[in-house]
Amino acid sequence: MSDKSDKYRLKNWQELPPGGVITEGGNAADYETGTWRTWRPVWKEENCIHCLTCWVFCPEEAFLLKDGKTASGKDRKEIKEIDYFYCKGCGLCVKECPVNKKGKKVAVEFIREET
Amino acid sequence: MPKTIAITGNGAMAEAMRQINPDVVAAFPITPSTQVIEDFAKFVSDGKVDTELITVESEHSAMSACIGASVAGGRVMTATSSNGMALMWEMLYIAASMRQPVLMTLVNRAMSAPINIHCDHGDSMGARDAGWIQLYAENHQEAYDNMIMAPVIAENMDVRLPVMVCMDGFLISHSVETMQIEEDGKVRDFIGEHTALNSILDFDNPVSWGALDLQDYYIEHRRGQQEAMNNAAAVVADVSKRFGDQFGRKYELFESYRLDDADRVVVAINSVAGEIKEVIDELREQGEKVGLLKIRMFRPFPYTGIAKALSGCKIVTVMDRSTSMGAFGPLFGEISNALYAADNRPLIYNRTYGLGGREMLLDDIKDVFAESKEYLDNGKVEKIFDILNVRGA
Repeated sequence: MSDKSDKYRLKNWQELPPGGVITEGGNAADYETGTWRTWRPVWKEENCIHCLTCWVFCPEEAFLLKDGKTASGKDRKEIKEIDYFYCKGCGLCVKECPVNKKGKKVAVEFIREET
Repeated sequence: MPKTIAITGNGAMAEAMRQINPDVVAAFPITPSTQVIEDFAKFVSDGKVDTELITVESEHSAMSACIGASVAGGRVMTATSSNGMALMWEMLYIAASMRQPVLMTLVNRAMSAPINIHCDHGDSMGARDAGWIQLYAENHQEAYDNMIMAPVIAENMDVRLPVMVCMDGFLISHSVETMQIEEDGKVRDFIGEHTALNSILDFDNPVSWGALDLQDYYIEHRRGQQEAMNNAAAVVADVSKRFGDQFGRKYELFESYRLDDADRVVVAINSVAGEIKEVIDELREQGEKVGLLKIRMFRPFPYTGIAKALSGCKIVTVMDRSTSMGAFGPLFGEISNALYAADNRPLIYNRTYGLGGREMLLDDIKDVFAESKEYLDNGKVEKIFDILNVRGA
């Protein structure tokens, strides 16, 4: 999970530069799109084949990776977890997951966000 | 030495623009403001200014180009009227909310339909919620003076808002009047250098303009914009005082004409104020206690000062040169708002006049004062709203 320090705090009006100008690069990373979520993708590690399709499609870079090995011992990247600070619940990962598409197992489940 | 010359209102605004020497002017011609840019284009061709003049294909593009040039760090101006400003509508709000100190000469003209090229205030009054500071002028001199003050107000770091300097179409824009043009050097000293804020051409400090706000930030940005507008009132007062010290002509946020002991007061905006003063002088000679409150700054609206100025008089006639269909006139609404909390609240009513350039003659104004006398004598307002000089009334 990302660190929810003061950097991510919603600013008061006095702290904002005039006219809504953005004065620093890459500050989309400071913005919690997770508050938009009404549906939650839940990653099922036991069914995941680590093809990284979800990581490719995710518009918020919410799939975090870790180093791993293939069955034959080669280095590869694997899914570590979903960062719900960024995940806005769009469901692209659920839609694109090849395991989900095959229909026998579910690697990314989509459940209603509890309110 | 200042020059005393005879000039049209549009010519005077072009002179002000020449002295301001903006980095960029983007405009599209529309009567009655066309001559402002025509005259200014000559200054550009003659090399009297350093301005990049962009002759765009529409007013929407004119204001868009102004915003772009302003965001790039330039001092930027335009001029328009009526439907031309209406075509800028989307961009008017964006200029204000992006806090760009764009300067506009708005030559007041009636909104279509029916198409009409003559004066009323429907254009600028319609734009009163767009977030622009609005200054109004009775005559050529005031319009020119307001424009000289406009960049100083707009570019103040506590303000950073666009300013619309309004004057009456044809009545001021095309009539010739004697007025004073100040020395170029003194005007430029008064205005000072433009300071860019978060320019997109500052490559060492890259910025993004025009980004998205959602439910979690939009209202905070609007709150900041409101604060800038609140700050603007004091800045306009301060700049006006400095202007008075420098050039000798004193301006307040509104003008009080023979108001101190007046029982019957007319509130008005722009050129009709000159005629009202004439009638007031005549009625005063006959012992009638009449006065005028002339609005100079409509946005931000100086509620407190106006409430104080009108508290104690007995009856107020608010003259609107525009209509808000289905409502009272915009000026009447503001004066009523101002007076609600005032001590000794006077009687108040609304008269609409001059739509589409319908003449308002001295005798018509005498009729206005005669009616207010009748209302005051009877102790009540018979008709709170009426349109003057309309056939079939």
